[in-house]
Amino acid sequence: MASGVARREGIAGWGFVMPALVLLGVFMIYPILSSLWMSFQVGKGMNLQFGGFRNIARLAGDAVFLKALANTLLFLVIQVPIMLVTGLVLAAILNDQTFRGRTVYRAMIFLPCVTSLAAYSVVFKAMFTADGVINHVLMALHLSDTGVPWMTDPFWARVLVIIAITWRWTGYNMVFYLAAMQNIDRSIYEAARIDGVPVWARFSRLTLPMMKPVILFTTVISTIGTLQLFDEPNLLTRGGPSDATLTLSMYIYKLSFQFMPSFGYAATVSYVIVLLVGLLTVVQFFFARDRLK
Amino acid sequence: MGVRSKIWTKSLGMMAVSSTLALSAGAGWAADLTVWCWDPNFNGSTMEKAFAIYQASHPEDTLTIEYFDKTALEQKMQTQLAAGVTDGLPDIVLVGDEMAQKFLLAFPGAFEPLTDELDYAAMAPNKVAVATVDGETYSMPFDSGVTGYFYRSDILGEAGYTAADLEDITWDRLIEIGQDVLQKTGKQLLPIDTNDAGPLLMMMQSAGGWYFDAEGNPTIKDNAALRATLETYARLVNSGIVKPVNGWPEYTGSFTSGETLSTYIGVWITGTIKANADQAGKWAVAPIPRLDGVPGAVNASNLGGSSWYVFADAPNKDDAIDFLKTVWGADIDFYQQILVENGAVGSLMTARDGEAYQAVDDFFGGQPVWQNFSTWLSEIPPINFGIYTQEANAALVGQLPALLAGGDVDEIIDAIDAQVQAQIQ
Amino acid sequence: MKPVSILRHGFVGLVAVWSVFPFVWMAVAATNSSADVIKGRTLPGGYLIENIQAFMTAVDLPRVLWNSAIISGVGTVLTLTVSALAGYGFEMFRSRFRERVFAGLMLMLSIPFAALMIPLFVMMAKAKLINSYSAVILPMVASVFVIFYFRQATKAFPRELRDAAKIDGLSEWQIFAFVYVPVMRSTFAAATIIVFMANWNNYLWPLVVLQTNDKFTLTLAVASVGIGYTPDYGLIMVGAIAATLPTLLIFFLLQRRFVEGMLGAVK
Repeated sequence: MASGVARREGIAGWGFVMPALVLLGVFMIYPILSSLWMSFQVGKGMNLQFGGFRNIARLAGDAVFLKALANTLLFLVIQVPIMLVTGLVLAAILNDQTFRGRTVYRAMIFLPCVTSLAAYSVVFKAMFTADGVINHVLMALHLSDTGVPWMTDPFWARVLVIIAITWRWTGYNMVFYLAAMQNIDRSIYEAARIDGVPVWARFSRLTLPMMKPVILFTTVISTIGTLQLFDEPNLLTRGGPSDATLTLSMYIYKLSFQFMPSFGYAATVSYVIVLLVGLLTVVQFFFARDRLK
Repeated sequence: MGVRSKIWTKSLGMMAVSSTLALSAGAGWAADLTVWCWDPNFNGSTMEKAFAIYQASHPEDTLTIEYFDKTALEQKMQTQLAAGVTDGLPDIVLVGDEMAQKFLLAFPGAFEPLTDELDYAAMAPNKVAVATVDGETYSMPFDSGVTGYFYRSDILGEAGYTAADLEDITWDRLIEIGQDVLQKTGKQLLPIDTNDAGPLLMMMQSAGGWYFDAEGNPTIKDNAALRATLETYARLVNSGIVKPVNGWPEYTGSFTSGETLSTYIGVWITGTIKANADQAGKWAVAPIPRLDGVPGAVNASNLGGSSWYVFADAPNKDDAIDFLKTVWGADIDFYQQILVENGAVGSLMTARDGEAYQAVDDFFGGQPVWQNFSTWLSEIPPINFGIYTQEANAALVGQLPALLAGGDVDEIIDAIDAQVQAQIQ
Repeated sequence: MKPVSILRHGFVGLVAVWSVFPFVWMAVAATNSSADVIKGRTLPGGYLIENIQAFMTAVDLPRVLWNSAIISGVGTVLTLTVSALAGYGFEMFRSRFRERVFAGLMLMLSIPFAALMIPLFVMMAKAKLINSYSAVILPMVASVFVIFYFRQATKAFPRELRDAAKIDGLSEWQIFAFVYVPVMRSTFAAATIIVFMANWNNYLWPLVVLQTNDKFTLTLAVASVGIGYTPDYGLIMVGAIAATLPTLLIFFLLQRRFVEGMLGAVK
């Protein structure tokens, strides 16, 4: 009976997902409800009271929040595509069995995301300081006369943060792409190669469509990661100059831990991120699904 | 015994805590004191030494220190206090002075007032002020952040400037000196992190000014000290004698490598400077310059510094207080020891009459630096940090690029005020 | 070499060098005194042994390595098991209701951890789990991130294999264990690296929930030594390297999976 099969499928389906759902239920539901409730509380420290929509109203008039929101979206729009395309190109090259030195290259490119933040922030700051090695090179190549004000100019500070995130996370995304490429049946390639399909066409018509689920995955997690961006601006530019690199997550951190704590308002800003992710994820899933047809 | 008292605490709740402590005072129960702090070579080391002294009269007691990075410690403590969980908190915690008012007011009842236990009249007034809320003082003041102007006496000497030339000067005089030195040596005088409020805070406090009045209300407009600070800072940074740096390693690297010739900062920088043994005898310390034209401006200020606090729910509260009182609050020899061994300038004013404070330091060309620092320490204008200092710092730092680009000081003050007003709602 | 080949090598080489540079700098810094690191010395120095000794004195390395190994090892095994099952379940057995549940999970993924930390701490305190390995591991086991990854990767799993296995009389669980896991081993390899790394480098939550230095992970220990008013950068760099090496080792051990993959034929 079809319905019997369906029911057995249903039971098996729940069986597979149940351990995860139970754990998430135990460890996430209460904190989420609690933080949602918190987002309606106003006041400082432990002197909290129910404030209805006052935190949401406060968002609209909070110049610092609006700046952090704009910065975060800017990082998202510019950085995520650069990183994912670079990661994909690297994965495609390093998946080529004839490419010499690929094992070592893969490890080298993966290295940034395991390098400790402490070392990485010290090095990046030293490299990009006013008379650091990067400016010396730029000046030697006559690309810049006086050196680029990486840390002190709002525009260049944003560029620096984008360079830094791309540096750290490109290899990470590459790992997902490499793993996905391994799941593609190589005999299809062979056939295409013998039929004289050029390399680029093989990549765009065979590889990319097969990798769409993983590309969607990296897009979604990179979107979430960038909307929650904290480490790079915190360590490299401390959100400055003039809050040019302040992100929503840094603002949440300041509101919760650096400033006189406004746990309620910080929770409200957190849910702005959730809302953004929700909207963007729907859009991304929509595009991914649309092209499948 | 320590284990037993912990079991008591857990199983019988608050009633048991007080009875255990009553016993501990009377019958000499052993206490395992726990301390959280952040520098094993500095505050942690001094705490161990203090406890070694205490142990002579309390052999049963033990001490455990847990180390965290300073910001990590603050964040951890804040999470736990906000969760309302006192389980697992230590007996004593080190808190940065700039954070003290915030913690005391955000978490009322979390810390134990020590007003009746310690003689605050004997301690540096600015340290007492930062730990006082509604007439109760909560801290055992520890290291001072008394500021000094640390400079390369060898190179400034070659350029024709002696110690007397740097004594009790204004910032504008320092700029003149710096420009002259730049011309003669080709080296800039000061590294300044233009994304940091610290260099401005030292100026502002040296004139007894702050962002807030004694009641904690913002006084950003009509604030002579803040206005003079902004104007002086802009003149200083744009005078050509300042090398802009970013972050701590670059800042300290600049003056320890000889790239720049001096810095003005809290006394706790001494360890970083002295780590360069090859520069012994080439450094000296002067009082920091003062703000011109502001009534009450002095050549002394403060940056940083920290104090010990006891949690109100500490499992060994009475022992912790007794320990702080007997060693930290009274033992002058102890302060000589930590000055010599750790370079820690404590806040117990009577300790400055001790031998170590009188000694000269060959690293600083035979100057009686510690005596000088204690003199400046007593001159620091006490201020009320208030609870919104971090918010105000953020607003201030956000305006620095505009200030340094020649922006109108009135507009900048308005912008800082507007942001602070918005943040503290 | 053909121009395309030169271009490819040039590009990959450039990215690789750029990627490794800070790591090399870190290794060089570990051989210098703190004062030299601050001054920007870029040549190897003679302080490596001293820095290692200072690090070993400041950190109980066997202890924190053990803590890290337990937390990361157990955490990774549990996370992979629970999350792979769920990812497989969500993809293979689609139902409208489960799709909604999945969408809900995606939203959970996007809540900044800072917002959840305080209530989670309250829960752990109520369960008397503060300062325990379990408090660090448990909240990370059911990872929406990893579930999502497995779900997406499973889309490439040939459904015919499952159908064939069913005809052979394997139960759903047997199919998962004996067909799916071996076939998807490059996905498992990638997930192992990523999850291990996330557990190994996890900072915020362990910091909040672990109270004593003897329970610290290597990452926490490294973050709390050498700091203070006179940071010892030589020591910090030794610590940074010590904290990096285990993840790198895992990467080297598992990356062969990317090369050989499910078909393994080298052309």
